[in-house]
Amino acid sequence: MRKKSASHKIRTKGKNRSGKFLIRFSLFLFGSIVSFTTASAVLHLNQAQPTCANSQSCKSDLSTRIENNMPGVFEGRIVYPPRIDTSININESPVLGANTNSGAKHIYVDLSKQTLYAFQGQTQVFKTLISSGRWAPTPVGNFHIWEKLIATRMTGGEGASAYDLPNVPYVMYFYNDFGLHGAYWHDNFGHTMSHGCVNMRTVDAKTLYDWADGPTNTTLGTAVSICDSLTDSHQCVQNNSIN
Amino acid sequence: MTIRHQIELEGFSFIVAGAIFGVFFAVYLNRAPKIRSSFVIPAIQNSQEPTPALSLSPTQAPTFIPKIETSSQISPDGTKKLTMTSTTNRNGSITYAFTTSEADDTNKNSIYSVTLSPPENITIPFNTWSPDNAYVFLVQSGGSENSALVMRANGQTLPDGQQFDNVTELFTAKNTGSIYQETTGWASETLLIINTKNQDGSKGSSYWFEVPTKAIILLSTQF
Repeated sequence: MRKKSASHKIRTKGKNRSGKFLIRFSLFLFGSIVSFTTASAVLHLNQAQPTCANSQSCKSDLSTRIENNMPGVFEGRIVYPPRIDTSININESPVLGANTNSGAKHIYVDLSKQTLYAFQGQTQVFKTLISSGRWAPTPVGNFHIWEKLIATRMTGGEGASAYDLPNVPYVMYFYNDFGLHGAYWHDNFGHTMSHGCVNMRTVDAKTLYDWADGPTNTTLGTAVSICDSLTDSHQCVQNNSIN
Repeated sequence: MTIRHQIELEGFSFIVAGAIFGVFFAVYLNRAPKIRSSFVIPAIQNSQEPTPALSLSPTQAPTFIPKIETSSQISPDGTKKLTMTSTTNRNGSITYAFTTSEADDTNKNSIYSVTLSPPENITIPFNTWSPDNAYVFLVQSGGSENSALVMRANGQTLPDGQQFDNVTELFTAKNTGSIYQETTGWASETLLIINTKNQDGSKGSSYWFEVPTKAIILLSTQF
């Protein structure tokens, strides 16, 4: 009897030890999986979804700011922004597609060709060269213009690539502070030149600004598709879409 | 002759007279157009000396009509315009004349003119205007190499008295080790961006060309 009970105790102790080990191992495994998943998700979000084009102004202010006679800085050089004249009635300027059939408005940006196309229905009403992200990528995806500003100040970058640009004209934000806008500080369109936004000549940005719609209480703003490339049949190829 | 015979004879005479008149009338109508044209056509046909207006003398050179084409590029802010007028000359060469003006074509300034023989040609690139509208650059191609020519937009000479700077020649003279490929546009009001290739054909470094000082500046990134 004694021998039996002793051997029973030993077996019970063994079972308890292996049970505890299994519980601890399961907890460790579960914790590892949770940690790995969380870390992967954070890394993925950080890499695939840049949240800011202008690292400073995206947090400070995304409203209209007109600062005439205020110099700016780009690539370590002083730049002089154009005066923004608020007395000009924008509605008086010619509007793209005014004589074409009505249809949904859609802006496509072909990153491979650094070209922007504006469509109303099936009709292409506008095309121009642009400059997309050089120092940070322009997010690929499908968006809508969520804010239109006649001008604002954009600041960001670090070190030699820091910039502070007042009176950035004709801004159409489509994803956070990533926007379509005029660029008066360079003329190198057709080549990447921005921190993530889509730069255009001021004259082209005005044309697009007058044509595109911002959101209303009941409707979204004009659709914007950022494409890795655009096929001849206007199929937007998006290899790393963020949405 | 009875009255009956007399009536038959008169009737027969009338029919014969009518038939003769009908034949004569028909012949007259048929010949009428020929008669009319005979009065007009011989004035041309019979003349053995054609009027000068209707003929080309074998020794006379054909009239040369010059072919004139224009193209233009608006400045980034939409206020200025650079226009190129190309005129084909009698010997096949083409004269290119460049003028700047306000966007509404007022206040024209002639800034540059050159005559080139094809395949050499000169064009206005999309990014021709400097951001402040002070300079423009042109691309001359078709020869041994593509050249970028930068000049002041108001037609005045550069600080050293030259009408333009040949960016390609100045870059090549620097012996950077890279081969000039193209000038893409303006990084700022006075900086042109130059792309190059390496000796093995791969993409080379990018440079700035500063217009006032003619400095060539190596960049850390490739455009």
